[in-house]
Amino acid sequence: MKLTRSRFLQLVTGTAAAAMFSSVATFSAAQDISAELEAWLVENSLGPNVVEEENWDDIVAAATEEGEVVIYSSSGRIAKLVDHFQALYPGITLTLFDLGSVKTIEKAIREQEAGIFNVDVITTGNSGQVIYELLGNNRIFNYVPAHFVDRIPVENRDPLLIRVNEAIVFFYNTDANPDGAPISNVWELTEDRFRGRVGIKDPMGSGSSLMGLAALVQNPDEMAAAYQRLTGEELVLGEGVPDAGYEFVRRMLENDIVIFKSGSKLADAAGAAGQEDAMIAMTNMTYISRNEDKGNVNAMMVDLDPVARMVYPTYMAIAANAPNPNAAKVLIAYLLGNPEMNLETELVKPYIEGDSFDMLQGLAPYHDAGSVSPRSDVPLPEGGEVWDDMVGWDISAEFMWEQGPKLRDFWMIYSSQ
Amino acid sequence: MAPVSRTRDRPAFWSLRNFSYQAYRLKNRPELIIGVLALVFLGFVVMVPLLQIIKEAFTFQRYDLAYQPDGNVGGFTLLHFDRVFFQPISKALFFKPLINSLMMGVAVTAIALVVGFSLAWLMVRTNVHFKGTFGAMLVFPYMMPSWVMALAWLSLFKNDRIGGSEGLLTYMTGTQVPDWVAYGYLPIVFTLAMHYYAYAYLLISGALATVDSELEEAGATSGMGKWKRIRVITMPLLMPAIGSAIVLTFIRILGTFGTPALLGMPVRFFTFSTQIYASINARNQGDAYILALVLIVLAVSFIWINSRIIGVRKSYVTMTGKGFRKHESDLGKWRWPAAIIVILFLCITVALPLILLLWESLTLIPGNYSLSNLTSYFWAGQGNMQLAYGEPGVIHNRGILEALGNSIKLGFAAALFNGALGLLVGYAVVRGRGARLSRWLEAIAFAPYIFPSIALGAIYIGMFSTNIGPIPALYGTFTILILITVIKNLPFTSRTGIAAMLQIHQSLEETARVQGIGWFRRMFRIIIPLSMSGLVAGMLLTFITAMRELSLIILLISPGNNVLTGLIFGYQEQDMAQHSAAVTLMLVMFIILISVIVRLMSRRAGVGKLSVV
Repeated sequence: MKLTRSRFLQLVTGTAAAAMFSSVATFSAAQDISAELEAWLVENSLGPNVVEEENWDDIVAAATEEGEVVIYSSSGRIAKLVDHFQALYPGITLTLFDLGSVKTIEKAIREQEAGIFNVDVITTGNSGQVIYELLGNNRIFNYVPAHFVDRIPVENRDPLLIRVNEAIVFFYNTDANPDGAPISNVWELTEDRFRGRVGIKDPMGSGSSLMGLAALVQNPDEMAAAYQRLTGEELVLGEGVPDAGYEFVRRMLENDIVIFKSGSKLADAAGAAGQEDAMIAMTNMTYISRNEDKGNVNAMMVDLDPVARMVYPTYMAIAANAPNPNAAKVLIAYLLGNPEMNLETELVKPYIEGDSFDMLQGLAPYHDAGSVSPRSDVPLPEGGEVWDDMVGWDISAEFMWEQGPKLRDFWMIYSSQ
Repeated sequence: MAPVSRTRDRPAFWSLRNFSYQAYRLKNRPELIIGVLALVFLGFVVMVPLLQIIKEAFTFQRYDLAYQPDGNVGGFTLLHFDRVFFQPISKALFFKPLINSLMMGVAVTAIALVVGFSLAWLMVRTNVHFKGTFGAMLVFPYMMPSWVMALAWLSLFKNDRIGGSEGLLTYMTGTQVPDWVAYGYLPIVFTLAMHYYAYAYLLISGALATVDSELEEAGATSGMGKWKRIRVITMPLLMPAIGSAIVLTFIRILGTFGTPALLGMPVRFFTFSTQIYASINARNQGDAYILALVLIVLAVSFIWINSRIIGVRKSYVTMTGKGFRKHESDLGKWRWPAAIIVILFLCITVALPLILLLWESLTLIPGNYSLSNLTSYFWAGQGNMQLAYGEPGVIHNRGILEALGNSIKLGFAAALFNGALGLLVGYAVVRGRGARLSRWLEAIAFAPYIFPSIALGAIYIGMFSTNIGPIPALYGTFTILILITVIKNLPFTSRTGIAAMLQIHQSLEETARVQGIGWFRRMFRIIIPLSMSGLVAGMLLTFITAMRELSLIILLISPGNNVLTGLIFGYQEQDMAQHSAAVTLMLVMFIILISVIVRLMSRRAGVGKLSVV
């Protein structure tokens, strides 16, 4: 074959293209337990090798030896802990990457795919992906400090330790509704009098808002029963709508629910003082603290049929092949708060100062109304005591993983009509 | 007809004679060498991510198990292709947002072009008052994050649909602003146009400054009227700049997210970019990447049309080495009215958002704009545990000052490398115009423009995690931040490089070559000085965008090299409104300051003679 100019060019282009494609193809998706990871798990008593008793002093000593711990976090408030943690554990430097929930997961997966093991602790919400994509793929491993196991209810530590539980609730404006909550049943929000007067944080952009909706959709039978209790009639589903949970979402959208980009702006919009026709806000309970900071007059609806708070968890875990596994353990214990704390412990604001900080430790920046520690021996934060009075539904990770995408599709279709 | 072999009387391809002949030819065509080198480099940093996006768009992801529980993770799938184009959801996911985005793009581009063109004309070709000051200030809106303008709009016009405190207009008149004024298409178009007119303004004023008035005078001598001169002589000369401005603005609008999200969501006005963002947010990469690919196809066809219109005509050279004169027309009694219009314009686009930011940063309780609520704590406070989680004010905050240093470092480095790369790409593309290499290079240099930033960042983690030949692993270093910023901004600078190079006649370089002057000296003595005005404009744009960039680099930042936008993100996420406003204001002020300094310096250096930027 004669080597002509065009053949030569073809050859060069072909080689370049092949090289490029092959470099693309080398990225792989799955992570099996390699021999290296296996050894790491055995050495650090993680994964299948979890032990019931551990020598905490040894772990702290080993952690100090490691000298560093790196955390990827969906929440930036952890930054407030850096100095306190380093003062409590001299010799361990805490390095925080504040990434938001999506990027925390994305960065962790991409790094591990590329064989980079930088991170020790990962903490983020988004239950479906954390449980199924990270934990299920051996990208993270559950760790519960042995001395905390008894104080954490099993649902808060199995399959994965929860760092904090929060909830989506309904706010109403007390200036506009001086006689108390304007509704007693969530289905009332789909009535004409609330047309365009309910706000929600965009579930397509916010994991917590989506989980709040999903908690409703997850319980179609209870939703249908609540409808019947309100109207005395059987719920009639719209065309193509699978069940009562989805029907609620459809009717909310049809009733011109207002979508907000930011949950705090929504809380302020619903709660600004002096409004006569204020909207109802479906948003994160923790924004009730803006009553104090911003002069809002929001109140939570405590008695709601069938549910008043939709609980979503934020997890924490040790990353696979973490370079500082012992420091990671120490940090996780720190984030759970001081073991000496109990229900009688006196805590005073501001929590990130003095004795309260020493008691709450890693919980301090999160000890707000609307946030609840996974431990059963931590007092509820001031202003958030109603937590126990409210009927709450937890969102299951399995439901989020299997149905979350369909709920998003459903929302997208009906919100664009 | 018998085929005629054209190779017969030529030396065989692989013969020594041909080889030395080709080497000789190559030596005299530096644009070929540069072109090939640039193509190889860009091929790696741009094409690999592109192929990766294509591959992942058609790969079955774990997320997709919800749709097909028995799917094969990692295998080939048309699931997302199908979802985007052929399913009931396609209307909500793709078609409606696409139409919204296109409508938005057309309107914003048209307004931005008219505004940018008028302002450029006023600043370059007339004797309007305060030209120097205006010329600098007209770029300020672009230096602010575009959502600042959207927030300003909301605080003026919001109505009771989103409740809360009243908008200023409702507060003063007592009437509710209709929804279509407060939210959706109209305000999005307006606020975006007031932001993105900067492209048209910069590019057109750069080009206008290099149009030789003698050409127009020649037209006048041959009896052409004023409008005919503009239509027949000036406008065609400006076509490359106008074309570039249209391309840059239009495609940028298709990809813009912040403003449509803020102003569109209350009335459910979804755009292409909000859908991509939503898909990425769900980690539904298949949908996100297919949508991104549609954007890329749209952009490439747009560029193709543009280069068809401009590329086939050759008469755009304005720098010829012959006499050059600039003519300013006298506005006469319109001098003051024109100046006042510009002042009003600047009040709306510059003063209003800046004052809003400043005020926000001075409020004790955010959103309460009464005088008794003012405080300087968030600027000068030492850290009070009762406020903002004890975060100290800006000037006592080491984290902020460190991040400021990093931002400036990133901006400068990106601008510098970008200028060099843009110049080389522009040189190779223009000098080699018509050849395949030139077309490829032009297209590939434009591709990063439409990558979803976050996707590019994610892919770079994998690409630069290990060393590639002699290049060490860049992941975790500051260099990778510079690299990705340079790549993402290359479309700007390569467009300005091409536009600048199109105006320089080849004869200037050839004259030097005849005298035996080498390529490097030709570059530094002729090409760079002549294209400086366009180049500085492009580098300034890169600097500004680099300082404001976040989603591109957030996955690659390590704590030691955090930047200001990273801090702003954190403050917003923690609802620390005053800190976020204060840092944003500081960022904007530094961008403005540095741009003004650069502008003064370049004017000192003589670049200003050709430039209004």
